[in-house]
Amino acid sequence: MQNDIITVKDTHVQAAELVMEDVLKKFKGGKFIITIAGEVSSGKSTLSYLLGRMFKMKGINSKIIDLVDYYIVPPLERRKWRADNGIKSIGFDEYNWPLIEEVMEKFRKDEQATLPLVDLLTDHVDTLITDFKDIQVLIMTGLYASFCKKADYRVFMELTYRETYEAQAYTAREGLDSFRKKILEKEHKVVQEQKNNADIYIDFNTFMNSYHL
Amino acid sequence: MLEDVLLIAPKHREVGEEIVAEILKAKKDKFIVAISGESGSGKSELTHVVAKALRKHGIFAKPIHIDNFYNTLPLERMEIRTSGGIKNTVGMKEYRWDLVHQTVDDFKNNRKSSMPCVDLVTEQVDELITDFNGVDMLIIDGLYAIHSEGVDMKVLIELTYHETKKAQSDRGKEPNNPTRWEILEQEHQEVLSIKHEADWFVSKDFTLVAAR
Repeated sequence: MQNDIITVKDTHVQAAELVMEDVLKKFKGGKFIITIAGEVSSGKSTLSYLLGRMFKMKGINSKIIDLVDYYIVPPLERRKWRADNGIKSIGFDEYNWPLIEEVMEKFRKDEQATLPLVDLLTDHVDTLITDFKDIQVLIMTGLYASFCKKADYRVFMELTYRETYEAQAYTAREGLDSFRKKILEKEHKVVQEQKNNADIYIDFNTFMNSYHL
Repeated sequence: MLEDVLLIAPKHREVGEEIVAEILKAKKDKFIVAISGESGSGKSELTHVVAKALRKHGIFAKPIHIDNFYNTLPLERMEIRTSGGIKNTVGMKEYRWDLVHQTVDDFKNNRKSSMPCVDLVTEQVDELITDFNGVDMLIIDGLYAIHSEGVDMKVLIELTYHETKKAQSDRGKEPNNPTRWEILEQEHQEVLSIKHEADWFVSKDFTLVAAR
């Protein structure tokens, strides 16, 4: 994804440090895939970015891939497509999973890959050609990233639906009409199905400063 | 540029709106805006808010970051700069202007275009392919962006590295050492040498001023 804006807060840094510590127990070199799944606006992109930076400081090359780039229907057509196809069309099947699995495979094999890359300013889908040869860690982030098969480590980021709703209104990326609300509900439902297979679970509600007995 | 960090503040949005107003007055088909300024002056932030604000007017603007067009690889640049001497190596000559101008030409002619794209986390140079068909404006962002060919509106941010020194150290994007300051001084001199090309200045207090 191009031209995304992230906001780094102390809680994100703390979460990233926690994840990093746990990942390093499992990562013994070779090719390693981390998925960061979770609710809308829960801080997935920020966490990915911080992990990328932390890996770099340890001399480990990591590449971040946002699954937002892998929707089958491109951004400028998606609103209409969703309206035409109804709420049942929202969720897992909106993504090009064969392509996602293919990219993971190319990463494992040290190959060059051709990837879709959305520009959030133009909403056009560009193409990125990248070489996975010198990349040790692939960080795949997205609502349903835990559904990626063959990931080595899965992070799940929690946020209640109510907060998602507010966070969404706050970032004001999209106007919140009633259909949009239904979409969020459906996405939330699918997101929560991934909860049980996570290696680590980040919940800012109970995180550090707001934790109490 | 992938994985860049922007710190967008109200001042960027405010002067961004002023720039958008001028763009709307001057706009024509396949319009090109360039935003120059020293490292840390806020050109990427300004580019972002301008592109975003233009969408509200139904205009699709694509930002192009000149730092993708260095003629040296990110991981080798410091070594090349120090071994060759900062004064000899740093400046407009370390960019692939031929590729910048190719991109400008592709945009003007609605072509599909291929360009370098630096990932700041991997520090590798990927290749980005974009279709300029359906893109109304190009916003070129970079130290010497206003020096590029084919630009219709040239904006220069007057903040220098002297004023952003503290912010630069805090931001931690670049190493904080004597060589870094020498590089910033050399870049400062280069920007001064093209300042007369600007049509508009963003003053140090972030207001838009027309060049005489």
